[in-house]
Amino acid sequence: MPILEVNNLKKSFDGDSILKGISFDMEKGQTLSILGSSGSGKTTLLRCLNFLEMADDGRIKVNGETLFDGMKTSFSENELRDKRRHFGMVFQQFNLFPQYTALENVTLAPRLANPSKDKIDIERESRMLLTKMGLPDKLNHYPHQLSGGQQQRVAIARALALKPDILCFDEPTSALDPELTGEVLKVIKELALQHTTMIIVTHEIPFARDVSDQIIFLDRGVIAEKGTPSQVIDSPTNERTQKFLANY
Amino acid sequence: MFATVTLALFKGFLGTLKLFSLTLLFSLPLGLLISFGSMSKTAILRLPIRLIIWIIRGTPLMLQLLIIFYGPGIFLGRNIWGSGDSGRFTAALTAFVINYACYFSEIFRGGIQSIPKGQYEAAQVLGLSRTQTFFRIILLQVIKRIVPPISNEVITLVKDTSLARVIAFYEIIWEGERFIKSSGIIWPLFYTGVFYLLFSGLLTLLFGYIEKKLDYFK
Repeated sequence: MPILEVNNLKKSFDGDSILKGISFDMEKGQTLSILGSSGSGKTTLLRCLNFLEMADDGRIKVNGETLFDGMKTSFSENELRDKRRHFGMVFQQFNLFPQYTALENVTLAPRLANPSKDKIDIERESRMLLTKMGLPDKLNHYPHQLSGGQQQRVAIARALALKPDILCFDEPTSALDPELTGEVLKVIKELALQHTTMIIVTHEIPFARDVSDQIIFLDRGVIAEKGTPSQVIDSPTNERTQKFLANY
Repeated sequence: MFATVTLALFKGFLGTLKLFSLTLLFSLPLGLLISFGSMSKTAILRLPIRLIIWIIRGTPLMLQLLIIFYGPGIFLGRNIWGSGDSGRFTAALTAFVINYACYFSEIFRGGIQSIPKGQYEAAQVLGLSRTQTFFRIILLQVIKRIVPPISNEVITLVKDTSLARVIAFYEIIWEGERFIKSSGIIWPLFYTGVFYLLFSGLLTLLFGYIEKKLDYFK
Protein backbone atom coordinates (compact mmCIF):
# COMPACT_ATOMS: atom_id res chain seq x y z
CA MET A 1 0.00 0.00 0.00
CA PRO A 2 1.38 3.44 -0.85
CA ILE A 3 2.18 5.63 2.14
CA LEU A 4 0.70 8.64 0.35
CA GLU A 5 -2.02 8.81 -2.28
CA VAL A 6 -3.01 12.13 -3.76
CA ASN A 7 -5.94 12.21 -6.09
CA ASN A 8 -7.10 15.01 -8.34
CA LEU A 9 -6.08 17.67 -5.83
CA LYS A 10 -7.31 21.15 -6.72
CA LYS A 11 -6.69 24.55 -5.23
CA SER A 12 -7.38 28.05 -6.42
CA PHE A 13 -6.84 31.45 -4.84
CA ASP A 14 -9.39 34.15 -5.70
CA GLY A 15 -10.44 32.32 -8.82
CA ASP A 16 -6.83 31.76 -9.86
CA SER A 17 -6.42 28.05 -10.37
CA ILE A 18 -3.04 27.02 -8.88
CA LEU A 19 -3.46 23.25 -8.68
CA LYS A 20 -5.59 21.81 -11.44
CA GLY A 21 -5.98 18.20 -10.39
CA ILE A 22 -2.78 16.66 -9.05
CA SER A 23 -2.58 12.89 -8.68
CA PHE A 24 0.37 10.81 -7.57
CA ASP A 25 1.32 8.30 -4.97
CA MET A 26 4.50 7.29 -3.23
CA GLU A 27 5.81 4.32 -1.32
CA LYS A 28 7.23 4.31 2.16
CA GLY A 29 10.95 5.01 2.28
CA GLN A 30 10.98 6.78 -1.06
CA THR A 31 12.16 10.23 -1.95
CA LEU A 32 9.99 12.25 -4.29
CA SER A 33 11.25 15.50 -5.76
CA ILE A 34 8.95 18.11 -7.23
CA LEU A 35 10.45 20.35 -9.88
CA GLY A 36 8.95 23.20 -11.82
CA SER A 37 9.30 26.90 -12.43
CA SER A 38 8.11 29.54 -9.98
CA GLY A 39 4.34 29.74 -9.85
CA SER A 40 3.86 26.19 -11.07
CA GLY A 41 2.16 25.24 -7.79
CA LYS A 42 4.95 23.26 -6.11
CA THR A 43 4.80 25.08 -2.80
CA THR A 44 1.00 25.19 -2.81
CA LEU A 45 0.96 21.42 -3.27
CA LEU A 46 3.19 20.93 -0.21
CA ARG A 47 1.14 23.40 1.80
CA CYS A 48 -2.07 21.55 0.94
CA LEU A 49 -0.53 18.27 2.09
CA ASN A 50 0.42 19.94 5.37
CA PHE A 51 -2.98 21.58 5.71
CA LEU A 52 -1.35 24.99 5.85
CA GLU A 53 -3.72 25.62 2.97
CA MET A 54 -7.01 23.81 2.57
CA ALA A 55 -7.38 22.22 -0.85
CA ASP A 56 -10.66 22.84 -2.66
CA ASP A 57 -11.19 19.36 -4.00
CA GLY A 58 -9.54 15.98 -4.40
CA ARG A 59 -8.31 13.37 -1.98
CA ILE A 60 -5.31 12.93 0.31
CA LYS A 61 -4.69 9.54 1.89
CA VAL A 62 -1.84 8.60 4.21
CA ASN A 63 -1.33 4.91 5.07
CA GLY A 64 -4.79 4.25 3.68
CA GLU A 65 -6.38 6.79 6.03
CA THR A 66 -8.29 9.52 4.21
CA LEU A 67 -7.20 12.91 5.53
CA PHE A 68 -9.03 14.97 2.97
CA ASP A 69 -11.75 14.06 0.52
CA GLY A 70 -13.08 17.38 -0.69
CA MET A 71 -16.39 16.90 1.13
CA LYS A 72 -15.37 18.81 4.21
CA THR A 73 -13.09 21.81 3.93
CA SER A 74 -13.16 23.20 7.43
CA PHE A 75 -11.80 21.33 10.41
CA SER A 76 -11.44 21.98 14.11
CA GLU A 77 -8.04 22.77 15.54
CA ASN A 78 -7.72 19.25 16.94
CA GLU A 79 -8.72 17.59 13.68
CA LEU A 80 -6.14 19.65 11.83
CA ARG A 81 -3.49 18.75 14.35
CA ASP A 82 -4.20 15.06 13.86
CA LYS A 83 -3.93 15.44 10.10
CA ARG A 84 -0.74 17.46 10.23
CA ARG A 85 0.88 14.92 12.53
CA HIS A 86 1.59 12.75 9.48
CA PHE A 87 3.74 15.39 7.82
CA GLY A 88 6.89 17.18 8.86
CA MET A 89 7.79 20.43 7.18
CA VAL A 90 11.07 22.17 6.52
CA PHE A 91 10.62 25.73 5.30
CA GLN A 92 12.64 27.81 2.89
CA GLN A 93 13.19 30.45 5.60
CA PHE A 94 13.92 27.86 8.35
CA ASN A 95 11.42 29.52 10.74
CA LEU A 96 13.30 28.52 13.86
CA PHE A 97 12.01 30.00 17.10
CA PRO A 98 14.56 32.73 17.90
CA GLN A 99 14.13 32.71 21.68
CA TYR A 100 15.01 29.02 21.98
CA THR A 101 18.36 27.31 21.62
CA ALA A 102 18.92 24.74 18.88
CA LEU A 103 18.18 21.96 21.38
CA GLU A 104 15.07 23.69 22.74
CA ASN A 105 13.78 24.20 19.20
CA VAL A 106 13.95 20.44 18.72
CA THR A 107 12.57 19.40 22.12
CA LEU A 108 9.69 21.90 22.30
CA ALA A 109 7.11 20.10 20.16
CA PRO A 110 7.79 16.55 21.46
CA ARG A 111 7.54 17.86 25.01
CA LEU A 112 4.19 19.51 24.36
CA ALA A 113 2.91 16.51 22.41
CA ASN A 114 3.83 13.95 25.12
CA PRO A 115 3.62 15.68 28.49
CA SER A 116 3.92 12.32 30.24
CA LYS A 117 7.10 11.30 28.47
CA ASP A 118 10.35 11.68 30.38
CA LYS A 119 12.03 14.98 29.57
CA ILE A 120 15.43 13.31 29.69
CA ASP A 121 14.44 10.83 26.98
CA ILE A 122 13.15 13.60 24.73
CA GLU A 123 16.32 15.54 25.26
CA ARG A 124 18.52 12.52 24.53
CA GLU A 125 16.66 11.82 21.28
CA SER A 126 16.92 15.49 20.30
CA ARG A 127 20.65 15.55 20.98
CA MET A 128 21.02 12.48 18.80
CA LEU A 129 19.10 14.13 15.99
CA LEU A 130 21.22 17.26 16.16
CA THR A 131 24.36 15.14 16.25
CA LYS A 132 23.12 13.31 13.18
CA MET A 133 22.71 16.72 11.54
CA GLY A 134 26.38 17.41 12.30
CA LEU A 135 25.63 19.94 15.04
CA PRO A 136 26.74 18.24 18.28
CA ASP A 137 28.56 21.39 19.37
CA LYS A 138 25.71 23.82 18.60
CA LEU A 139 23.07 22.48 21.00
CA ASN A 140 23.00 25.58 23.16
CA HIS A 141 23.38 28.14 20.42
CA TYR A 142 20.52 30.47 19.58
CA PRO A 143 19.39 30.64 15.94
CA HIS A 144 20.99 34.06 15.36
CA GLN A 145 24.35 32.58 16.37
CA LEU A 146 24.11 29.95 13.63
CA SER A 147 24.73 30.17 9.89
CA GLY A 148 21.82 29.65 7.52
CA GLY A 149 22.95 26.12 6.76
CA GLN A 150 23.19 25.29 10.44
CA GLN A 151 19.78 26.81 11.09
CA GLN A 152 18.25 24.73 8.35
CA ARG A 153 19.80 21.58 9.78
CA VAL A 154 18.30 22.43 13.18
CA ALA A 155 14.97 22.86 11.40
CA ILE A 156 15.33 19.40 9.85
CA ALA A 157 16.09 17.90 13.26
CA ARG A 158 13.07 19.73 14.68
CA ALA A 159 10.79 18.26 12.01
CA LEU A 160 12.24 14.75 12.49
CA ALA A 161 11.74 14.88 16.26
CA LEU A 162 8.01 14.29 15.84
CA LYS A 163 8.68 11.19 13.70
CA PRO A 164 6.40 12.19 10.83
CA ASP A 165 5.38 9.63 8.22
CA ILE A 166 6.48 11.97 5.48
CA LEU A 167 8.99 14.78 5.69
CA CYS A 168 8.36 17.70 3.32
CA PHE A 169 10.97 20.23 2.23
CA ASP A 170 9.93 23.52 0.65
CA GLU A 171 12.97 24.71 -1.29
CA PRO A 172 15.23 23.99 1.68
CA THR A 173 18.32 25.59 0.16
CA SER A 174 16.85 28.55 -1.71
CA ALA A 175 17.67 30.99 1.08
CA LEU A 176 21.27 29.78 1.37
CA ASP A 177 24.59 30.75 -0.17
CA PRO A 178 25.96 28.15 -2.57
CA GLU A 179 28.60 27.40 0.06
CA LEU A 180 26.01 26.50 2.67
CA THR A 181 23.70 24.67 0.27
CA GLY A 182 26.04 21.68 0.15
CA GLU A 183 25.93 20.93 3.86
CA VAL A 184 22.13 20.91 3.88
CA LEU A 185 21.87 18.76 0.76
CA LYS A 186 24.33 16.35 2.33
CA VAL A 187 22.14 15.69 5.36
CA ILE A 188 19.04 15.33 3.17
CA LYS A 189 20.91 12.79 1.09
CA GLU A 190 21.85 10.86 4.21
CA LEU A 191 18.18 10.81 5.21
CA ALA A 192 17.33 9.45 1.75
CA LEU A 193 19.93 6.71 2.12
CA GLN A 194 18.29 5.76 5.44
CA HIS A 195 14.95 5.52 3.63
CA THR A 196 13.24 8.47 5.24
CA THR A 197 10.06 9.13 3.28
CA MET A 198 10.50 12.60 1.82
CA ILE A 199 8.92 15.04 -0.59
CA ILE A 200 11.35 17.71 -1.72
CA VAL A 201 10.43 20.82 -3.62
CA THR A 202 13.70 22.02 -5.07
CA HIS A 203 15.52 23.84 -7.82
CA GLU A 204 18.66 21.76 -7.34
CA ILE A 205 18.33 19.55 -10.40
CA PRO A 206 21.54 17.51 -10.02
CA PHE A 207 20.67 16.92 -6.38
CA ALA A 208 17.15 15.80 -7.25
CA ARG A 209 18.52 13.36 -9.83
CA ASP A 210 20.94 12.04 -7.27
CA VAL A 211 18.58 11.38 -4.34
CA SER A 212 15.12 10.87 -5.80
CA ASP A 213 13.28 7.64 -6.50
CA GLN A 214 10.59 9.57 -8.29
CA ILE A 215 10.40 13.01 -9.85
CA ILE A 216 7.37 15.09 -10.68
CA PHE A 217 7.63 18.04 -13.02
CA LEU A 218 4.87 20.51 -12.31
CA ASP A 219 3.79 23.03 -14.90
CA ARG A 220 1.05 25.62 -14.35
CA GLY A 221 -0.79 23.47 -11.84
CA VAL A 222 -0.65 20.14 -13.64
CA ILE A 223 1.82 17.28 -13.58
CA ALA A 224 3.57 17.59 -16.93
CA GLU A 225 5.85 14.66 -16.37
CA LYS A 226 6.36 12.00 -13.74
CA GLY A 227 8.85 9.18 -13.47
CA THR A 228 12.29 8.10 -12.36
CA PRO A 229 15.09 10.70 -12.42
CA SER A 230 16.53 9.21 -15.57
CA GLN A 231 13.15 9.39 -17.31
CA VAL A 232 12.27 12.94 -16.29
CA ILE A 233 15.67 14.60 -16.14
CA ASP A 234 17.74 12.74 -18.68
CA SER A 235 15.14 12.07 -21.33
CA PRO A 236 12.12 14.26 -20.81
CA THR A 237 9.34 13.78 -23.32
CA ASN A 238 7.26 16.81 -22.40
CA GLU A 239 8.13 20.02 -24.21
CA ARG A 240 7.78 22.17 -21.07
CA THR A 241 10.08 19.88 -19.11
CA GLN A 242 12.65 20.02 -21.90
CA LYS A 243 12.54 23.80 -21.94
CA PHE A 244 12.79 24.04 -18.18
CA LEU A 245 15.73 21.67 -17.95
CA ALA A 246 17.52 23.39 -20.81
CA ASN A 247 18.02 26.35 -18.47
CA TYR A 248 20.14 24.27 -16.13
CA MET B 1 10.98 74.57 55.50
CA PHE B 2 12.77 72.45 52.94
CA ALA B 3 12.19 69.33 55.04
CA THR B 4 8.52 70.18 55.52
CA VAL B 5 8.05 70.68 51.78
CA THR B 6 9.94 67.51 50.88
CA LEU B 7 7.86 65.49 53.30
CA ALA B 8 4.61 66.97 51.96
CA LEU B 9 5.65 66.33 48.37
CA PHE B 10 6.55 62.75 49.25
CA LYS B 11 3.05 62.32 50.56
CA GLY B 12 1.64 63.75 47.34
CA PHE B 13 3.96 61.55 45.31
CA LEU B 14 2.51 58.48 47.00
CA GLY B 15 -0.83 59.39 45.41
CA THR B 16 0.91 59.74 42.06
CA LEU B 17 2.59 56.35 42.48
CA LYS B 18 -0.63 54.67 43.50
CA LEU B 19 -2.44 55.93 40.42
CA PHE B 20 0.57 55.09 38.24
CA SER B 21 1.04 51.52 39.42
CA LEU B 22 -2.62 50.55 39.51
CA THR B 23 -3.12 52.01 36.04
CA LEU B 24 -0.30 49.84 34.70
CA LEU B 25 -1.53 46.77 36.56
CA PHE B 26 -4.97 46.94 34.92
CA SER B 27 -4.29 48.61 31.58
CA LEU B 28 -1.58 46.23 30.36
CA PRO B 29 -3.73 43.05 30.43
CA LEU B 30 -6.80 45.01 29.32
CA GLY B 31 -4.76 46.42 26.45
CA LEU B 32 -3.81 42.90 25.37
CA LEU B 33 -7.48 41.88 25.34
CA ILE B 34 -8.42 44.98 23.37
CA SER B 35 -5.66 44.28 20.87
CA PHE B 36 -7.12 40.80 20.27
CA GLY B 37 -10.50 42.43 19.73
CA SER B 38 -9.10 44.98 17.31
CA MET B 39 -7.49 42.16 15.27
CA SER B 40 -10.58 39.95 15.37
CA LYS B 41 -11.91 38.58 12.10
CA THR B 42 -15.43 39.19 13.40
CA ALA B 43 -16.48 42.67 12.35
CA ILE B 44 -19.08 42.89 15.15
CA LEU B 45 -16.22 42.71 17.61
CA ARG B 46 -13.53 44.52 15.66
CA LEU B 47 -15.41 47.62 14.51
CA PRO B 48 -16.79 48.78 17.88
CA ILE B 49 -13.38 48.25 19.45
CA ARG B 50 -11.66 50.24 16.72
CA LEU B 51 -14.26 52.97 17.25
CA ILE B 52 -13.55 53.09 20.98
CA ILE B 53 -9.80 53.23 20.36
CA TRP B 54 -10.34 56.08 17.94
CA ILE B 55 -12.44 58.05 20.45
CA ILE B 56 -10.05 57.47 23.33
CA ARG B 57 -6.95 58.31 21.34
CA GLY B 58 -8.66 61.19 19.61
CA THR B 59 -9.74 63.15 22.67
CA PRO B 60 -7.72 64.66 25.53
CA LEU B 61 -7.25 62.56 28.62
CA MET B 62 -8.25 65.57 30.72
CA LEU B 63 -11.64 65.67 28.99
CA GLN B 64 -12.06 61.94 29.53
CA LEU B 65 -11.36 62.38 33.23
CA LEU B 66 -14.03 65.05 33.48
CA ILE B 67 -16.60 63.04 31.52
CA ILE B 68 -15.96 59.86 33.49
CA PHE B 69 -16.14 61.68 36.81
CA TYR B 70 -19.09 64.00 36.18
CA GLY B 71 -20.86 62.10 33.39
CA PRO B 72 -22.66 59.48 35.48
CA GLY B 73 -24.00 62.16 37.82
CA ILE B 74 -25.31 64.20 34.93
CA PHE B 75 -26.67 61.43 32.71
CA LEU B 76 -27.70 58.80 35.26
CA GLY B 77 -28.65 61.27 37.95
CA ARG B 78 -26.44 59.65 40.55
CA ASN B 79 -22.79 59.56 41.47
CA ILE B 80 -21.56 56.04 40.84
CA TRP B 81 -18.05 56.76 42.13
CA GLY B 82 -18.85 57.08 45.79
CA SER B 83 -17.97 60.09 47.79
CA GLY B 84 -14.76 61.68 48.93
CA ASP B 85 -11.15 60.95 48.01
CA SER B 86 -11.65 57.27 47.29
CA GLY B 87 -14.48 58.03 44.86
CA ARG B 88 -12.33 60.51 42.99
CA PHE B 89 -9.46 58.05 42.93
CA THR B 90 -11.66 55.29 41.47
CA ALA B 91 -12.92 57.63 38.78
CA ALA B 92 -9.40 58.80 37.94
CA LEU B 93 -8.11 55.23 37.85
CA THR B 94 -10.96 54.17 35.55
CA ALA B 95 -10.22 56.98 33.12
CA PHE B 96 -6.49 56.23 33.12
CA VAL B 97 -6.96 52.49 32.69
CA ILE B 98 -9.29 52.93 29.71
CA ASN B 99 -7.04 55.54 28.11
CA TYR B 100 -3.79 53.65 28.56
CA ALA B 101 -5.31 50.28 27.65
CA CYS B 102 -6.25 51.75 24.27
CA TYR B 103 -2.74 53.07 23.65
CA PHE B 104 -1.17 49.82 24.84
CA SER B 105 -3.54 47.80 22.64
CA GLU B 106 -2.22 49.55 19.56
CA ILE B 107 1.36 48.84 20.62
CA PHE B 108 0.46 45.17 21.21
CA ARG B 109 -1.32 44.99 17.86
CA GLY B 110 1.72 46.39 16.08
CA GLY B 111 3.99 43.96 17.92
CA ILE B 112 1.82 40.92 17.25
CA GLN B 113 1.35 41.77 13.59
CA SER B 114 5.09 42.25 13.11
CA ILE B 115 5.83 38.60 13.93
CA PRO B 116 6.49 36.77 10.64
CA LYS B 117 3.82 34.36 9.43
CA GLY B 118 6.48 31.65 9.29
CA GLN B 119 6.58 31.50 13.08
CA TYR B 120 2.89 30.60 13.21
CA GLU B 121 3.23 28.10 10.37
CA ALA B 122 6.22 26.40 11.98
CA ALA B 123 4.23 26.10 15.20
CA GLN B 124 1.23 24.74 13.28
CA VAL B 125 3.14 22.00 11.50
CA LEU B 126 4.72 21.05 14.82
CA GLY B 127 1.24 20.48 16.22
CA LEU B 128 1.14 23.35 18.71
CA SER B 129 -2.30 24.61 19.68
CA ARG B 130 -3.18 28.27 19.22
CA THR B 131 -2.74 28.95 22.92
CA GLN B 132 0.61 27.18 23.01
CA THR B 133 1.71 29.07 19.92
CA PHE B 134 0.83 32.41 21.47
CA PHE B 135 2.32 31.85 24.89
CA ARG B 136 5.38 29.78 23.95
CA ILE B 137 6.36 31.22 20.59
CA ILE B 138 4.81 34.60 19.90
CA LEU B 139 4.48 36.43 23.22
CA LEU B 140 8.16 36.74 24.14
CA GLN B 141 9.05 37.89 20.63
CA VAL B 142 6.29 40.50 20.87
CA ILE B 143 7.48 41.66 24.29
CA LYS B 144 11.01 42.07 22.97
CA ARG B 145 9.75 44.24 20.13
CA ILE B 146 7.41 46.40 22.19
CA VAL B 147 9.67 47.21 25.15
CA PRO B 148 10.84 50.53 23.65
CA PRO B 149 7.35 51.90 22.76
CA ILE B 150 5.89 50.62 26.05
CA SER B 151 8.65 52.33 28.00
CA ASN B 152 7.72 55.55 26.21
CA GLU B 153 4.08 55.22 27.26
CA VAL B 154 4.96 54.30 30.81
CA ILE B 155 7.14 57.38 31.21
CA THR B 156 4.36 59.50 29.74
CA LEU B 157 1.99 57.94 32.27
CA VAL B 158 4.15 59.11 35.18
CA LYS B 159 3.64 62.70 34.05
CA ASP B 160 0.02 62.26 32.91
CA THR B 161 -1.05 61.34 36.43
CA SER B 162 -0.85 65.08 37.20
CA LEU B 163 -3.95 65.54 35.01
CA ALA B 164 -6.02 63.80 37.67
CA ARG B 165 -6.02 66.99 39.69
CA VAL B 166 -8.81 68.35 37.45
CA ILE B 167 -11.13 66.13 39.44
CA ALA B 168 -9.35 67.08 42.64
CA PHE B 169 -7.35 63.90 42.93
CA TYR B 170 -4.64 64.46 45.45
CA GLU B 171 -1.20 64.05 43.88
CA ILE B 172 2.19 65.71 43.94
CA ILE B 173 1.50 68.84 41.86
CA TRP B 174 -1.63 69.48 43.88
CA GLU B 175 0.49 69.25 47.00
CA GLY B 176 3.20 71.55 45.59
CA GLU B 177 0.65 74.13 44.53
CA ARG B 178 -0.82 74.32 48.00
CA PHE B 179 2.31 76.05 49.28
CA ILE B 180 1.54 79.02 47.04
CA LYS B 181 -1.65 79.68 48.96
CA SER B 182 -0.56 78.56 52.41
CA SER B 183 2.99 79.98 52.54
CA GLY B 184 3.26 82.23 49.51
CA ILE B 185 6.16 80.29 48.00
CA ILE B 186 6.29 78.85 44.49
CA TRP B 187 9.49 76.82 44.59
CA PRO B 188 7.78 73.69 46.03
CA LEU B 189 5.82 73.50 42.78
CA PHE B 190 9.04 73.58 40.76
CA TYR B 191 10.59 71.13 43.17
CA THR B 192 7.98 68.52 42.16
CA GLY B 193 9.86 68.26 38.87
CA VAL B 194 12.75 66.61 40.70
CA PHE B 195 10.45 63.81 41.83
CA TYR B 196 9.23 63.22 38.29
CA LEU B 197 12.77 63.29 36.95
CA LEU B 198 14.12 60.86 39.50
CA PHE B 199 11.25 58.46 39.02
CA SER B 200 11.34 58.50 35.22
CA GLY B 201 15.12 58.09 35.45
CA LEU B 202 14.54 54.97 37.51
CA LEU B 203 12.04 53.68 34.94
CA THR B 204 14.48 54.37 32.10
CA LEU B 205 17.08 52.26 33.90
CA LEU B 206 14.54 49.51 34.50
CA PHE B 207 13.46 49.37 30.85
CA GLY B 208 17.08 49.47 29.74
CA TYR B 209 17.68 46.47 31.95
CA ILE B 210 14.70 44.59 30.49
CA GLU B 211 15.87 45.37 26.96
CA LYS B 212 19.30 44.03 27.81
CA LYS B 213 17.82 40.91 29.39
CA LEU B 214 15.96 40.18 26.15
CA ASP B 215 19.07 40.73 24.09
CA TYR B 216 19.98 37.04 24.14
CA PHE B 217 17.91 36.42 21.02
CA LYS B 218 17.35 38.33 17.82
